[in-house]
Amino acid sequence: MDALPLIEARDLTKRFGGILAVSNLNLAVQQGELVGLIGPNGSGKTTTINMLTGHLAPAAGHIFLRGRRADGHSPSEFAALRVGRTFQITQLFSRMSVLENMLVPGLARPHSHWTAATRTARRHLEFLGLAALETLRAKNLSGGQQKLLELGRALMLDPEILFLDEPFAGVNPFLRDQIIELVRKLHADGRTFVIVDHDIEALQRLVQRMVVMSRGEKIADGTVTEVREDQEVLRAYAGV
Amino acid sequence: MSRWSSAFALVLAALALAFPFMVNAYWLSVGVLAMFYAIVAASWALLAGYAGQFSFGHMAFVSLGAYTSGLLVMTFGVPIPLGMAAGVLMCAIVGSGIGFVCLRMRGPYLALFTVAFSEVLRIVIVSENEVTGGSGGLEVTPLFHGATDMPYHYLGLALLGGSLAIMQLLVTSRWGLFFRAIRENEDAAAAAGVKVVRFRILAFAITSSFAGLAGGFYGHYIGILTPDIGSVDQMGLVVAMAVIGGAESIIAAMIGALGLEFLVESLRSYGQWRLVLFGALLLLTMRFARNGLLALAWQWLAQLNFTSLARGRGRRALRGG
Repeated sequence: MDALPLIEARDLTKRFGGILAVSNLNLAVQQGELVGLIGPNGSGKTTTINMLTGHLAPAAGHIFLRGRRADGHSPSEFAALRVGRTFQITQLFSRMSVLENMLVPGLARPHSHWTAATRTARRHLEFLGLAALETLRAKNLSGGQQKLLELGRALMLDPEILFLDEPFAGVNPFLRDQIIELVRKLHADGRTFVIVDHDIEALQRLVQRMVVMSRGEKIADGTVTEVREDQEVLRAYAGV
Repeated sequence: MSRWSSAFALVLAALALAFPFMVNAYWLSVGVLAMFYAIVAASWALLAGYAGQFSFGHMAFVSLGAYTSGLLVMTFGVPIPLGMAAGVLMCAIVGSGIGFVCLRMRGPYLALFTVAFSEVLRIVIVSENEVTGGSGGLEVTPLFHGATDMPYHYLGLALLGGSLAIMQLLVTSRWGLFFRAIRENEDAAAAAGVKVVRFRILAFAITSSFAGLAGGFYGHYIGILTPDIGSVDQMGLVVAMAVIGGAESIIAAMIGALGLEFLVESLRSYGQWRLVLFGALLLLTMRFARNGLLALAWQWLAQLNFTSLARGRGRRALRGG
């Protein structure tokens, strides 16, 4: 793959006080890839996503989006550049309706209009199976529906790349399968995904490439089979 | 707008227009002051209830707008409307500055910072007595010369109506949606593409402008400005008005301000005890009707309406209609 990566981290580093959360991380994601990012708790996965979406400023290193420097961009600038994300703990506009939750990103986009944004929001809600709930307050949805709504809100940015932070955490097997199916469909439409999760089984069914982090460093990067056979991964992740 | 809301708005508008012909000079004056408080409470509701920025410095902007206009008119002979416009502009500029400084502050930190700002402004006004008149006050030219407050009533009504219309447009626009999104979850709003910094500053600038407008009107109505207008006591009164009415609705906050100003004045004979009653009402509202008394009343009316409709349908069904 010699094309310009869609997003690239070069020597990305983040410290929290004396703790090195992410250390000299190099990661390039090509357009159309479906990447799984795994690692034990505290390995720096969410910190990496937070830096790649502008929610945390790196202490060192650079981020390139379609070849252009993007470190220093705010989250809203990343969103305007069609980088979407979901959060480890679902973050919704709780007292706003489902439709309003969808309209916020829809209307934050430049040159957007209410009618078009509402139409797009309803189309996505239909796709996610939430169409009948559009007038409900987000806080009244079930946990699984909230996860889907958060995904829908990210879709409103028409993202080229989507970072999903633990989409399978705390969801029942039925919903997990539903999310996998939705991601597959969105990927087939040409969207790029980076998915952080502990559910390796779900990720194995979904991703083509797996990146493993441990103690803030990337310790493996390859196909699912390659990663599963990597001794360092087994030591760090499974304690073998 | 529902049938109930339209009817309520019509009754309120008719009452407001006929009010000067229904009351004596004292109550007419109370009405003018109530409209002043209504603009302040509604704009505070926009800042705190919609944008989620619990500022305790809103009355400081009333003071800033009033003194800016008063000083320009009295010192430089600027026409009053121009002075009031300058007060609005000054509040927008200072409000943007305060909004910028407070960007990373939430909850109690923001409240404490704005209390400090409010006190700093009050002390500056007291200390700079050669310019501001200090504690003795600054005499300000009235807007209208005449024996009656009727012109003030209609001007106040126009300013209140105009302010509410603009605020209502704002909250139903995409800006209002972004204000609420930021209030609900700043990280999620930023991830959704909302320029959080810009909209937090905008919320401060816009609401401070309305406070400045109300301040200019108040100054040129009362005729004398004292530093107490920006005091924490006054701020507490405005917060109570908005909270009792309903801080998450501009209209409810306005009605809270109108209602409480009349209530406080009608209980004047009870002296300080009326403030105890006022405090008790605030406590009860916060405990049992966190969205304000108006939301509670509205809910009750809606239920009543629904029940009577259901009964009507039931009767028709029984009659076989």
